[in-house]
Amino acid sequence: MTTDSSSSRNEGAGEGGGDVLELPAASSSTAIALDELELVYAFIYARVGNRADAEDLTQQVAMKAIPRLRQGAPASAIRGYLFATARSVLGAFWSVRLGLSESELHEDLAMAIPAGPPSEEPAERARRILAGLSDNYRRVLELRFLHGYSLKEVAAEMRSTVGAVKVMQLRALRAAAKVRIDG
Amino acid sequence: MGEKPENRVDRIVSELLHGRRLKLRGGDAEEKEAIIAAARLSAASKGVQRMHPAFRKRLAESLGSAPADGWLTRRAALVAGLGVATGAITGGLIGRALEPASTAVAAIPEPRLISPTNGQWTDVGALADFSEGQGKRVSAGAVGAFLFRRGESVTAVSSMCSDLPCELRWNGGTGVLDCPCHPASFKPDGEPTNKAYRLPYLDLVSVRVTAAGRVEVLGT
Repeated sequence: MTTDSSSSRNEGAGEGGGDVLELPAASSSTAIALDELELVYAFIYARVGNRADAEDLTQQVAMKAIPRLRQGAPASAIRGYLFATARSVLGAFWSVRLGLSESELHEDLAMAIPAGPPSEEPAERARRILAGLSDNYRRVLELRFLHGYSLKEVAAEMRSTVGAVKVMQLRALRAAAKVRIDG
Repeated sequence: MGEKPENRVDRIVSELLHGRRLKLRGGDAEEKEAIIAAARLSAASKGVQRMHPAFRKRLAESLGSAPADGWLTRRAALVAGLGVATGAITGGLIGRALEPASTAVAAIPEPRLISPTNGQWTDVGALADFSEGQGKRVSAGAVGAFLFRRGESVTAVSSMCSDLPCELRWNGGTGVLDCPCHPASFKPDGEPTNKAYRLPYLDLVSVRVTAAGRVEVLGT
């Protein structure tokens, strides 16, 4: 793993990644922490689906976990600690926003601690969820989420009405929530 | 009149697809499963995300100004295979921690006593309910503890691992508290069992036995 933390890393940045900013002077050392937090960010983003919340929550993880990391902690514990904190922060986020209990979040927060840089895990996960749906439900979610169609466009594509597509979208999401993709 | 569920969820889907923050209103929780599924699919549609450069910069700056309690040691960084160019370290939080190994050896912190603000004694059961030497998990408000009876007295340690923020589990077979998050365990007095790599002691919790034979824990 390289410690070059500036340009090469920034080229692949997410949603808004176009402009390349130089990191502070202490980048080579700070990059160690940032490498770990990059994994945390990807984990959180895959669950909240938007950059603003993912940034807020990653920042919370950093501020909560880093002052508590002890000198001499083994590497596995450092990553483990960050992800345990991330699970806790995400749990609190959904609990506050939607009143979800920890048990309801079990599957959403369950994960193996990643061994390396982010993979294509979210896309694969989505593919498996969609594969578990009926044709109509899968189609409406594919068009809406993967192809970015508006409701009107989805309705035209599926020869339906906006109102009917809206209801189908809701039912498809409810069904997607029930798809079990473990194992 | 309440918002229709399909309109409610579509509003959230539209915001997610436009990259906006999850703004949930009262009643949205009724469709919590659909909303979580929508958030996952929205994330999947954008692929694996990396931090935006501006956020990464802000985070780097905040790391540099975080408290200096310690972070990675040089040893830990090397073990992690992170390829640290120690000669290039210029300071900041991580830089401080990446000092020569001789300065990175931390003394094992002494156990601390949890002293809740405006703490109050909470009855957690009769002394007779506690088996000799067996850990029992109790809660006193926000304070979680494992209690151990020794004759007529009771001791208590925090139920949280001292290394990771995970709830410990009592292992009656080995007589220790195991952390489910990593290979760490603690004796009933809070002492970590691993001699090679010493973790901090578990925090101590105040406990007392009343004249009426009730066990009380100082909680919140």
